[in-house]
Amino acid sequence: MNTTSAFQSIEETTVSLGGQQYIANDEIATTVYLSQQLGKPLLTEGPAGVGKTELAKAVAGSLGRSLIRLQCYEGLDETKALYEWEYAKQLLYTQLLRDQLQQTLAGAKSLADAADRLTDEEDVFFSMRFLLQRPLLRAILSDEPVVLLIDEIDRADAEFEAFLLEVLSDFQVSVPELGTLEANHVPIVVLTSNNTRELSEALKRRCLYLFIDYPSLEQELDVVRLKVPDLAPQMARQAVELVQSLRQIDLRKHPSISETLDWAQALVTLNSESLDRKTLETTLSVLLKHETDLRKVQRQLGRMDGQDDDEDETDWDEELPRRRRRID
Amino acid sequence: MEERIVKFISALRSGGVRVSLAESADAFSAVDNLGVQERDAFRLSLRATLVKDAESLPTFEELFPLFFGSGEPPPLMNLMEDLTEEEANMLAQALQEFGQRLREMLERLLRGEELSQEELDALGQMVGLNQADDLRYREWMARRMQRALQFEQVRKAMQEIMELLAQMGMNKERLDQMRELIGQNMESLREQLRQHAGQRIAENMAEQRPEDQIEGLMDRPFQALSDSDMQKLRQEVRRLAALLRSRIALRQKRAKTGHLDAKATIRANLKHGGVPFHIKHRDRTLKPKLVVICDISTSMRHCSELMLSLLYELQDQVSKSHAFAFIDHLEYITPDFQGNRANEAIQQVLIRMPPGYYSTDLGHSLQNFSDDYLDTIDHRTTLIVVGDGRNNYNDPRLDIFRKMARRSRRTLWLNPELPMLWGTGDSDMLDYVPLCDTILQVSTLSELTAAVDQLLVEKS
Repeated sequence: MNTTSAFQSIEETTVSLGGQQYIANDEIATTVYLSQQLGKPLLTEGPAGVGKTELAKAVAGSLGRSLIRLQCYEGLDETKALYEWEYAKQLLYTQLLRDQLQQTLAGAKSLADAADRLTDEEDVFFSMRFLLQRPLLRAILSDEPVVLLIDEIDRADAEFEAFLLEVLSDFQVSVPELGTLEANHVPIVVLTSNNTRELSEALKRRCLYLFIDYPSLEQELDVVRLKVPDLAPQMARQAVELVQSLRQIDLRKHPSISETLDWAQALVTLNSESLDRKTLETTLSVLLKHETDLRKVQRQLGRMDGQDDDEDETDWDEELPRRRRRID
Repeated sequence: MEERIVKFISALRSGGVRVSLAESADAFSAVDNLGVQERDAFRLSLRATLVKDAESLPTFEELFPLFFGSGEPPPLMNLMEDLTEEEANMLAQALQEFGQRLREMLERLLRGEELSQEELDALGQMVGLNQADDLRYREWMARRMQRALQFEQVRKAMQEIMELLAQMGMNKERLDQMRELIGQNMESLREQLRQHAGQRIAENMAEQRPEDQIEGLMDRPFQALSDSDMQKLRQEVRRLAALLRSRIALRQKRAKTGHLDAKATIRANLKHGGVPFHIKHRDRTLKPKLVVICDISTSMRHCSELMLSLLYELQDQVSKSHAFAFIDHLEYITPDFQGNRANEAIQQVLIRMPPGYYSTDLGHSLQNFSDDYLDTIDHRTTLIVVGDGRNNYNDPRLDIFRKMARRSRRTLWLNPELPMLWGTGDSDMLDYVPLCDTILQVSTLSELTAAVDQLLVEKS
């Protein structure tokens, strides 16, 4: 196996993913390594924004492979995912080549003869030349090994999922006019799902499963340090601790890692020196994207602060109704 | 090792995790790849290949240490060794105070002896561990084994001994040390019992054949379902829903009877040089709007729960649905389902609305509905009532039901009771019958599935 396009061990997987600024824990590294060894697609599930898509990018980056991405959505079908004939181009060519065709057909003795001659030329119009390759076919026909990312598979319809099965288990595609096209290199396939609906058993059976949850305090801190190195260490820890505690509260949407990073970046940009109330109040909306969540958290923070010093509490209480009025 | 893994897989299956043959083959090749030396890699290679569902992860994590031992229970310590002769005498004297059995147990604790395998087996036999095949019984079984060992009495006796020894004049520091050690020993014994219970149950689970059961359960009447049956059926509902979903989606796709779609037609016929061979029609969505009113009193709960689970799994096939539950009054329960599984949601509702005896009152509930929620029914709505029509001799409020039925596009009643029982006792079913378009007797999950399938066929 080529050294540049495959991981040799679990340790190497961790290190080279780390080289792509992706901090992989043992679980992630082991599963990625396994999926490569067994040649099985990797199905990653977990809350939004924990770095599922990022993982595919990191794998592609660390193996030096190019990444082919298929974003799923409701109504996605084969013509968008696999291939489509370029009708317009075919039509155009038929028009332009009309003279040529007439030459070919000239001198045909009978209708049958003409039809036979035409049949001989048919291949010209149903060749790769007129085949519009979509992500799946591109991944299969690629001359060099690639990483195929099928993003948010849960958004696609159940029928599409069934259709994926053929591609994912055999890495071949049958195009009726051309026959079966086989993969030159078996791509590494990463599927992501936000678990908005149950995926079919058949699809799951063909994949290895990796559940990525929110990271632990230390892991998240590592990520923040790596991606936002400008944030003071003390601040970073405080910020991550706050985010972690927010995930314990019952919210409509918990802040994800990417939101933590955005927030950290915001703190750097605003030159904040400590996580005081004012900073929090102005930047909390980076973390929380629902008005009700925002209000709930502010109330809780207000209560927490109230224990430290009573003077501010009154302040805060006045603040809150005013905010609320503005919101309403 | 292989045999152990096979056993582990069948325990996972009976724990409700779906593991196919292909997946177990994957597990073996994964283990071949990474070996079994490194415990963590081994665990992860099994997990990535066998478990494809975040909800099954806890089951896996619970069973894994039971099969591939997380290590021994903490070792017990011998206190007798470092006692001075005087102290040992005092202890022996104090021990005299207790009966034979207790004394044995106390001495065991003091000497730090573990329970032998035979003793554990005998204990298990005594508390019926061999019949337990669900990990939820683990703590309970462990507790029963503790009780069989008279743990509580032993603990009290230990207390008394300590007091006795103190009276006899043993050094206080020494006593504290002893007390702590004995506490630790008891804790380790407890852990040993727990592990034994877990392992035994896991092995019982491995011997079960869950596949045979689900088929039987599909056709078992709702009244005859136990809680563990329900657990299995809940998973089955998800599979059925997936099945129904693709069937319904196909049906809707084929049922294209809408207007001509000019753009799509031109596009489709480019290959024929623009001659319209294939006519394309605009899709016409026939997704029904639903209002479901469910009786969640004790007799009806299983049926209603499964019905609601099915409907909520099929959410995307329905344009809008409102769910209501009633016992003696009606509640709007759609919000409870947001982010919850149907059974959790029903639990939540039941906490708010505790079922009493003979308190079902459909008439009053219909009154509630017509007061507060009548606007959820319009000409596109299918009204579904899940209930047995038993009204405890309250007013059936047929007038309201008639009004509701008239407003809706169609009215469907699902009743788990046999038709011959309708109208007997407090059943008002026969009065409701003429007001409904369709009445289905659904007493098993397969009938329920067929009913839901029917419901979504709906022609416009």
